[in-house]
Amino acid sequence: MKIFAESHKTVFVVDHCPYMAESCRQHVEFDMLVKNRTQGIIPLAPISKSLWTCSVESSMEYCRIMYDIFPFKKLVNFIVSDSGAHVLNSWTQEDQNLQELMAALAAVGPPNPHADPECCSILHGLVTAVEALCKITEYQHEARTMLMENAERVGNRGRIICITNAKSDSHVRMLEECVQETIHEHNKLAANSDHLMQIQKCELVLIHTYPVGEDSLVSDRPKKELSSVLTSEVHSVRAGRHLATKLNVLVQQHFDLASTTITNIPMKEEQHANTSANYDVELLHHKEAHVDFIKSGDNHIGGNSREGTFKETVTLKWCTPRTNSVELHYCTGAYRISPVDVNSRPSSCLTNFLLNGRSVLLEQPRKSGSKVISHMLSSHGGEIFLHVLSSSRSILEDPPSISEGCGGRVTDYRITDFGEFMRENRLTPFLEPRGSLEIPLERAKDQLEKHTRYWPMIISQTTIFNMQAVVPLASVIVKEALTDEDILNCQKTIYNLVDMERKNDPLPISTVGTRGKGPKRDEQYRIMWNELETLVRAHINNSDKHQRVLECLLACRSKPPEEEERKKRGRKREEKEDKSEKSGKDYEPDKPWQESERLKGVLDREKEELAEAEIIKDSPDSPEPPNKKPLVTMDEMPPVEKAKGPMSLLSLWSNRINTANSRKHQEFIGRLNSVNNKAELYQHLKEDNGMETTENGKGSRQ
Amino acid sequence: MPTVVVMDVSLSMTRPVSVEGSEEYQRKHLAIHGLTMLFEHMATNYKLEFTALVVFSSLWELMVPFTRDYNTLQEALSNMDDYDKTCLEAALLGVCNIVQQEWGAAIPCQVVLVTDGCLGIGRGSLRHSLATHNQRSENNRFPLPFPFPSKLYVMCMANLEELQSSDSLDCLERLIDLNNGEGQIFTIDGPLCLKNVQSMFGKLIDLAYTPFHAVLKCGHLTSDVQVFPRPEPFIIDEEIDPTPKAINTDLEIVGFIDIADISSPPVLSRHLVLPIALNKEGDELGPGITDDTEDENSANQIAGKIPNFCVLLHGSLKVEGMVAIVQLGPEWYGMLYSQADSKKKSNLMMSLFEPGPEPLPWLGKMAQLGPISDAKENPYGEDDNKSPFPLQPKNKRSYAQNVTVWIKPSGLQTDVQKILRNARKLPEKTQTFYKELNRLRKAALAFGFLDLLKGVADMLERECTLLPDTAHPDAAFQLTHAAQQLKVASTGTSEYTAYDHNITPLQTDFSGSSAERM
Repeated sequence: MKIFAESHKTVFVVDHCPYMAESCRQHVEFDMLVKNRTQGIIPLAPISKSLWTCSVESSMEYCRIMYDIFPFKKLVNFIVSDSGAHVLNSWTQEDQNLQELMAALAAVGPPNPHADPECCSILHGLVTAVEALCKITEYQHEARTMLMENAERVGNRGRIICITNAKSDSHVRMLEECVQETIHEHNKLAANSDHLMQIQKCELVLIHTYPVGEDSLVSDRPKKELSSVLTSEVHSVRAGRHLATKLNVLVQQHFDLASTTITNIPMKEEQHANTSANYDVELLHHKEAHVDFIKSGDNHIGGNSREGTFKETVTLKWCTPRTNSVELHYCTGAYRISPVDVNSRPSSCLTNFLLNGRSVLLEQPRKSGSKVISHMLSSHGGEIFLHVLSSSRSILEDPPSISEGCGGRVTDYRITDFGEFMRENRLTPFLEPRGSLEIPLERAKDQLEKHTRYWPMIISQTTIFNMQAVVPLASVIVKEALTDEDILNCQKTIYNLVDMERKNDPLPISTVGTRGKGPKRDEQYRIMWNELETLVRAHINNSDKHQRVLECLLACRSKPPEEEERKKRGRKREEKEDKSEKSGKDYEPDKPWQESERLKGVLDREKEELAEAEIIKDSPDSPEPPNKKPLVTMDEMPPVEKAKGPMSLLSLWSNRINTANSRKHQEFIGRLNSVNNKAELYQHLKEDNGMETTENGKGSRQ
Repeated sequence: MPTVVVMDVSLSMTRPVSVEGSEEYQRKHLAIHGLTMLFEHMATNYKLEFTALVVFSSLWELMVPFTRDYNTLQEALSNMDDYDKTCLEAALLGVCNIVQQEWGAAIPCQVVLVTDGCLGIGRGSLRHSLATHNQRSENNRFPLPFPFPSKLYVMCMANLEELQSSDSLDCLERLIDLNNGEGQIFTIDGPLCLKNVQSMFGKLIDLAYTPFHAVLKCGHLTSDVQVFPRPEPFIIDEEIDPTPKAINTDLEIVGFIDIADISSPPVLSRHLVLPIALNKEGDELGPGITDDTEDENSANQIAGKIPNFCVLLHGSLKVEGMVAIVQLGPEWYGMLYSQADSKKKSNLMMSLFEPGPEPLPWLGKMAQLGPISDAKENPYGEDDNKSPFPLQPKNKRSYAQNVTVWIKPSGLQTDVQKILRNARKLPEKTQTFYKELNRLRKAALAFGFLDLLKGVADMLERECTLLPDTAHPDAAFQLTHAAQQLKVASTGTSEYTAYDHNITPLQTDFSGSSAERM
């Protein structure tokens, strides 16, 4: 159904003239004597509804079904007509509910049988109805604004349902002509207006209703085109339940509805609570829910429902609920329902059962006896939907298992950790516009970006995420902003790690693929610190406080021997600088010693790397310790890249070549201390000016 | 999307093709050559596609039922005999039956019709079928449009000039029109030869059988994937927005939701998400092709050992019972979840929601979903014992709000009985009595059914006279008061008929002491 088809706008015009106060002459017994009551009491006389009451309650039922099934985008404008037209609501979505209409109808009250019939006419209402159809709805407005220059694509069609008591066929013709003329006039007006829209199509449904037992003075007429814009049909219907049935049929036609009867519903008997009988409940819904039956021609349509002249219903059998909410059914459509007989006991038992959160599978009765579950009834937030489940063969059957594909042979994925990650990244609705103008969903993407900056996928790729001790830091560092408490926790975590290192606690370093015991303890800590630094560095741009965490980390982390030296030296220099400020330059003589110390450090490291190379020589599969990466790339690679998981063959190979080469010569000191492969010359000049050159040296090691 | 290949094996297909200086070919051979190429392509790049082979002349026969075994299809091509005349309508009807039996009416299918453009003569010829198209009853309706969503590709073993010289092209175009325009006609460009047939089938492959490659992203975690079957472009609204929308090749995860919260949502289609390994040239290593099978195996083994985000995601979704919400395009979303085919095999599956800002009413507008860390307190609760879903609609539906419907007498009688039952249990049931009374009053006023108010007033007065001696004195007071209030409402005088007015219980002074005396 197109959004702006005729069903988008329905105008009800109900006659409120004096003759509508007449009785429909169908009696309702309302004083039903209950069993075991005092004998001899004569029940009160039955009462009967007026033509007005019948018209109003039938049109309310039409609206009830429509609002149940299409709570949005299908709008009703209710007009009553006597000596003038009374518009009871507007096209706005807020006005579209039964309560509003009922309250407005109560304010109008029943027609006054003593009013002057000459002043009253249904024409007032029809003219106002055409006016109403020209008025733009909020949905039309929205669509027009969105389409800009293509605004003319937005259609304006509508339907007028007029319930009246006509005098004759010529009276009916007069009403039709009036509508046609009014449309013509109003379309002219609308052409020159920004707030009104021309009517492209209007369906006039004239319902002539008269008391039961009288002869109709108006004949039925099927839909006929009166002009390119207007079609009209005439229904002559006796009042009372006949009118209600007619409107029920119409609402199904107008909104493409179909009927499903749920059969075999077990329900406790009112009188005998321990027995249960089977009941049927008839539901209405969009006919798409039957698409499989319609197309396959497999209409096992049950007998006509009791009232039915036109109605056909598909029968589906209740299956004892065996579905649970954590099962994800393959569902090809979900359609809102409305019970035909909303207040009957079987209906309300079924709807209450569903509203309490349970779902019911429905089965197609088949002659062959095979069981095919084709539908499911389920409620979501107080609305009941008929889900269409796919019952045909799947084209995706027998797919290759995920374990046979890429990454399928890897066995140490961090499944639990990612589960935790998913739970932290669950979504929640934000209803009222938030303070910031940012779209919530964009915030969600943003958070995912932050949380995945450093996220190793497998256990053997990470040390820190296997350590309970790191959790307090890892869980807060990904945040957009840190509180002072967060920083404190991060610092505590770092101190704790320092403590562990001092105590020489073992680390959960993966030894997968390595022979022997794996890296030495101090090497393990170096790997761990490097990884932790990668994690923290990935977030330093979030805020200054993140920066502070990094500073704390850098200050505390254990350094390879030569760095220890440099640190010492740094401390010395600090002291010295203090001194130098006081006593001038007595710094120079220290330099040769420093240099030799540094050289020693370099040599130490070479040795270390040699040892490492020995360990992993025969097992290229072993995870690459982070510190093994070439010095230069270490610095140039953004942390994000590091997170990207496995190393390429090229980098493995060049690593090895670099290591081998580095063994053959002594590295230039300048290059060792370089930043981005640029060595700073005459560093001491700057140092003299109080600059921290040692930071450069450190930088190259990261 | 399963495929049915419908091959014309009428005599006209055996017409020789004049190719200079080479052995003699028939059109049939050209067709077989083209189909071989199609099957080879599918066997390597589109392996999961189910394909069936139907041959037809004046009769039709299902040579190979739906299968993924392309060798069988290939073999069948070489076992085709030649028969009599072309009778397309019967064959199309056969296709209808085959597809519906296997897949029902909801699964889209591609029908590849291979013919030489000679559409038969006399009864059963396409010309005859089309000429009588308008005179058909429901019982022998023309098989097009197919009752299932479909694409009809007509592969002509003839060039355009040849088809235009007769009215064949017009007839075939009518055929596509009858299928609601879903499909296309392919003809051979230039002289009939193997090379030109290849290029024609190449076009079909490009159009309908190229695998859909995408990148699945969750922040910085990514994986190259193939989505199978290919997601087809979707038209949101024919009238306002008639352009088909295709899904992005970047599938971006935006967050996660519990399965219980997403709650079996309706979807347009389901697709397998298969991780693939792309090398630099963009050829795939995963479920793809390499010339050498040994190479392929070793390549697959290497790819199997490299950690892949899809596998991680799949594992966690399965363990946690969650789905990942994925953005497919502007205002278009889907979900990723683990789908088990059997106890052992399971897979990462993607379902597409209907495009639009709010595909699932119980989740609300997708753009309004945000991270839980932005909420004041965790909407899932500290112990993970609650959920922000489903969203409650603004207005309750009729079945959830106790509406009043008196169309059937039984509806009215039930409501009156309820009042009566409570009336007999006054004063204990004072609250319910007035609640039901007011409900009836409101409905009667809205429906202009004032006679009912009078009737119920009379009934309450009668109840008053029938009260047993043991009744609480308050009962009589309340009944009289209620009856009187209904009576004034039934006069229709505006001051008593305010819809929002409620009849309140009469303030009586039967305090606890009097109750004790009873």
